[in-house]
Amino acid sequence: MKKRVVAAVLAGVMAAGLAGCGAAAGTAAETAASHEDAAVSEEQGTEEAESETGADAAQEPVSISFYTTETGKDDMFQDLIRDFQEKNPGITVEYIAAGDDQLQKWMSLYASNEGPTVSLMDPINIYENRERMKDLTDKELIANIQEDALSTFTFDGRIYGAPYTAAGIGILYNQAVCDEAVGGTFDPASIKTRSDLEDLFNKIEATGRAGTMFTGVNWSLGAHYVGITYGAANGDVEARVQKVADLKAGQLSLADDEVINDYFDTFDMMAEHNYNKEDPLVGNINMDAQAFADGAAGTWFMGDWAWTYLGPIVEEGAEFGLLPVPLNDDPDNEVNTLLPTSFAKGYCVDASQNSKAQQAAGVKFIQYITSDEYAEEQLAKIAGQALPYKNFNGEIESPLGRSTASYISAGRNYDFYGTPDLLPSDFWYENGAYMCEYISGACDRQTLFSDMEAYWKNIQ
Amino acid sequence: MKTHARRRPITALQFCGFALPSLLIWTGVVAVPFFYGIGITFTDWNGLSMHIHFTGLQNYRAVFGDKTFLVSFWRTVIYVLFTVAASNVVGFLLALAVTGKIKGQNLFRAGFFTPNIIGGIILGYIWNFLFSYALTGFGKSIGSAWLSKSWLTDPYKALAALIIVSAWQLSGYLMVIYIAGLTNVPEELIEAARIDGASAGQIVRSVKLPLIRESVTICVFLSIARSFMSYDVNLSLTAGGPYKSTELIAYKIYQTAFTNMEFGKGQAQAIVLFVIVAAVSLLQVRLTRKGAEQ
Repeated sequence: MKKRVVAAVLAGVMAAGLAGCGAAAGTAAETAASHEDAAVSEEQGTEEAESETGADAAQEPVSISFYTTETGKDDMFQDLIRDFQEKNPGITVEYIAAGDDQLQKWMSLYASNEGPTVSLMDPINIYENRERMKDLTDKELIANIQEDALSTFTFDGRIYGAPYTAAGIGILYNQAVCDEAVGGTFDPASIKTRSDLEDLFNKIEATGRAGTMFTGVNWSLGAHYVGITYGAANGDVEARVQKVADLKAGQLSLADDEVINDYFDTFDMMAEHNYNKEDPLVGNINMDAQAFADGAAGTWFMGDWAWTYLGPIVEEGAEFGLLPVPLNDDPDNEVNTLLPTSFAKGYCVDASQNSKAQQAAGVKFIQYITSDEYAEEQLAKIAGQALPYKNFNGEIESPLGRSTASYISAGRNYDFYGTPDLLPSDFWYENGAYMCEYISGACDRQTLFSDMEAYWKNIQ
Repeated sequence: MKTHARRRPITALQFCGFALPSLLIWTGVVAVPFFYGIGITFTDWNGLSMHIHFTGLQNYRAVFGDKTFLVSFWRTVIYVLFTVAASNVVGFLLALAVTGKIKGQNLFRAGFFTPNIIGGIILGYIWNFLFSYALTGFGKSIGSAWLSKSWLTDPYKALAALIIVSAWQLSGYLMVIYIAGLTNVPEELIEAARIDGASAGQIVRSVKLPLIRESVTICVFLSIARSFMSYDVNLSLTAGGPYKSTELIAYKIYQTAFTNMEFGKGQAQAIVLFVIVAAVSLLQVRLTRKGAEQ
C-alpha cells in the first residue's frame, strides 16, 4: 500500500511537472507571440514611438546584454563596452562570449528567456531567426554602413543586421619570402592565372621552402574553399542562388560544372605544394601561423583574420598580403584577380525577449560600435580588418587588413555570400568533412562531388 | 499499537526533511527535462524558432532512416566493447598491483586515479598534443614512418586513440572500486589457497575474482553507461574527425541538435540512445547477478 502511495505521489509530481512544462511552453509561446506582435507593430510603427523609447532609454537605467561569437577579442569588446557605458550613462552592457560552439550558448540563452539584446552572429543565423530580430532598415546607423556590405543582412528588402568587418579570404603571402623567390619585389598583381600561381610556388620551393599551406580543418576547407566555388565565378548573386537551387533540386551535376572543376584543379595543384602534404589533416592554426611567419611556407590559404595569430609572432615591419585563388588559366578572366570579401559576422538586436527600451539601447550600442571614432580605431587596430563604415578613415594596423582594404578601394572584390541564405548553417561542417577526406586522399573528386550533391538534396 | 501510531508523523516528517528536497530537485532537473525532451521529439523545433509544429513520429522515422546515425551507432558499439574490456582489465590489474602490499601503494593509487579527476576536455587536449606532435616528433627523430604521422588523422588509428585515452581515464576510477572489492576478500581464504599450493594466478582466478563479482558488476555497468555517453574526450581529442570517422553517438546527437539545428531529431536520437543504454545496462546487471546466484 505504502509503495502505491509513494508511486502515486511520484506520478503526481511528474504530471505536475509536465503540466508546469506545458504551462511554461504555453506562456513562452504566448510571450513569443506577443513579442512577435510587438515586433510587427513596431515595424509598422512610427519613428516617433522609437524616439520615445530611445529617450526613455537615455533617462531610465537599462541593462542589455551583448553576445559575441567573435573569438579572441574579449578584451577589445570589454574595452568598447566600458567606453560605451561612459558615453551613455544609464545603459549597462553585460558581455557574454560564446564558447567553442557559438550556437549552443545562444540557444541556451533563448531557452531560458534571456535572449541577448545584441548578438554578433553569422548572417545565416540572423537570417534563420529573423522572426526574433529587430528590423534595422530605417535606423540611423544603417546610413553609415557601405551599401555593398548590407546585402548579406538584407532579407526581403528589410535589414536585420549590421556588418562587423569585411574579411578578405584568399592566399596569404609572405612578402619577404616571395621577394626572395622572384628575385626582386613580388607584385601580387602578377598572379593572374593558376599557372602564374604554380610558377610562384615553384620559385618559392627553389629557395627551400614550401610553396603554400592548407590548414586541414573543416571550417577552412569546407566553409572557405568550397564557399569560393559558389562565388562570383558563377555570375551575379541571382546566378549563384540559382546554382544552389538547382543542386537542391538535384538538377545539377557538379562533375559537369566547369566552375567547381576549375577551382578543384587549382586546389589539387595547391595540395601538391602543401607544407602539410605528408599529413594534411594535422591542421593546427597556431602552428601553421608559426610556419608561415617563419617563412617555412611562402603562402597560406586562409584569410586576413589570421592576423590574430600572426600579429604577436611576426617581426616588426614584416609585410604580408592577400592573393585571390585563381579560377583557371585565362588571364582575361576577371574572377582570377577578384578577392572574395566576407561580411561573415553581423550585429543584430533581439525583439522577441527584450523590452523596447532594451531594443533601443541595443540599437544605440550597435550605432556606437559602427560609427564611434574610438570604437572604429580599436576595431581597426585589434580586429585588423577593413571596416565597412562610411565615416571610417583610420589606419588598419594589420598588413593583411590593409591588403583587403586595397582590393575593396580598387573595386577588385566581391561579396563572398552575396545573400544571407546562400549557404546553410551546417554547410561548413558537412562539406568540411568531405574536404578533409578529399585532401587526405581517402576519396576522389567524383566521390567528393557526389557527397556534396547528396548534402544539397537533403536540404529542405 | 500506540508506538506504531506515534511513528507515523515522525516518518512523514523525516520524509519531508530528507527525501522531499531531493525528490523535488530530481523532479526539476531530471524528470521534467526528460519528459519535456520526449515532447520535443514529436515536433520540428530547431531550438530557436518561435513556431513549433507537431510532426508525430517523423523524427523517429528520420533517426532510423539516417545511415550516418546507424554508422555512428555501430562505431559506438565497437568503441564501448573495447573501452569496457580495456578499462576493466587495466583497472583490475592496477587494483591487484596496489593491493599487493607494495611500497608506496597510496602514491600509486593517487597517481592512477588522477586521470579521472583531470576531466575529459583537458585530457583530450593533452592527448591531442601527444598524438599529433609529441609522438610524431619522436617518430620522425627515430625515422619511423609509422609514428611520423598523427594517429588522429587516420580514421582507424583515431578511433584506437579514442579507446586508449578513454580506457586510460576510466581505469583509475574502476581501480578504486576493484580495490574496495579486493580488500574485502578474507585473508584466511587466500592463505588457505596458498597452503593448498595454489599459484598466484590460480588465487586470482579461483579465489579473488569470484569473491569480487559485485565489484565486477558495478564496474562493467558503470563503464558501459559512461562509454555509451562519452562526449568530452570525443570533442577535444578528435572532434569527430578525421572526416566524421570518430563521431560517437553522443557527439552525433550534439551535432544534429546544435550544428544542424534539428533539435527534434537530435532529441529523438537521444531518446533512442537512452533506451539502448538502459536496456544494455539492465541486461548486463541481470546476467551478472544471475551468474552470482548460480
